[in-house]
Amino acid sequence: MSGEEEENAAELKIGEEFLKAKCLMNCEVALILEHKYEQLQQMSDDPMNQVSQVFEKSLQYVKRFSRYKNPDAVRQVREILSRYQLAEFELCVLGNLCPETVEEAIAMVPSIKQRIVLDMQTKGRAHDDDAIERMLNDLSLIKKFE
Amino acid sequence: MFFHIVLERNMQLHPRHFGRNLRENLVSKLMKDVEGTCSGRHGFVVAITGIENVGKGLIRDGTGFVTFPVKYQCVVFRPFKGEILEAAVTMMGFFAEAGPVQIFVSNHLIPDDMEFQSGDMPNYTTSDGSVKIQKDSEVRLKIIGTRVDATEIFCIGTIKDDFLGVINDPTTA
Repeated sequence: MSGEEEENAAELKIGEEFLKAKCLMNCEVALILEHKYEQLQQMSDDPMNQVSQVFEKSLQYVKRFSRYKNPDAVRQVREILSRYQLAEFELCVLGNLCPETVEEAIAMVPSIKQRIVLDMQTKGRAHDDDAIERMLNDLSLIKKFE
Repeated sequence: MFFHIVLERNMQLHPRHFGRNLRENLVSKLMKDVEGTCSGRHGFVVAITGIENVGKGLIRDGTGFVTFPVKYQCVVFRPFKGEILEAAVTMMGFFAEAGPVQIFVSNHLIPDDMEFQSGDMPNYTTSDGSVKIQKDSEVRLKIIGTRVDATEIFCIGTIKDDFLGVINDPTTA
């Protein structure tokens, strides 16, 4: 492909189309796929025969790697993270990996630091770390009370 | 990462499917054709979740087939270079799997203090034995390269960076 910049998720270069698209966290995908699987189950006795290998593998994967099982918790995670002006992609990486420290969060999603520095140039670095810390605290609270 | 996106596809339908159930026929054919496929641009199509719009059909010259442009919403899995994700180890050497995607982690991309131990249960172990990677371990890795062919996306990953590596060992869990 000509003229296309090389993709790099760390700098949020994932292409216009995906940047605008809605990202899904693993736990959200689990809810969607399980719902679809149940529907298939009602229609036939052997739903595993009906679905593609991609579906089956994805379902296994998201079940294994979902941080939040309860649908209310999943909704809360999205609600809380969306208060922090993150890109969809960043929001989902954080929701999927649930980093525990500010350092870890920045290592997982390097673009959050750049973004916050750009937005609040006058406020300095200390504040950004605080914001991230607050966000991580909120996240761990949901997990605790799930 | 999983995405929820809208895609468009031109569906050809045989005249025998016309009638009251045209739409249902179209949708079930779409699911059969599209779910489970993979393209370099959009990644793996995991599941169709809804039909946005079915356009006006166009009769093909000579055949009687009708082509409908269909817009549909679907869940896709598309790995990106630089993305960090969690995966389950499937084969020593080692390969890991994140949903439909295979990720290879080469010897050079494993921390230097981890060494390969062959045997019945091949694994990578640190010199002090505290960390072990084997089949079924869960690891957090960073994708550093992707290769796309017609029906599959294949990734190269690394665990040689801060906050990457084993998150869960099946023997201790």
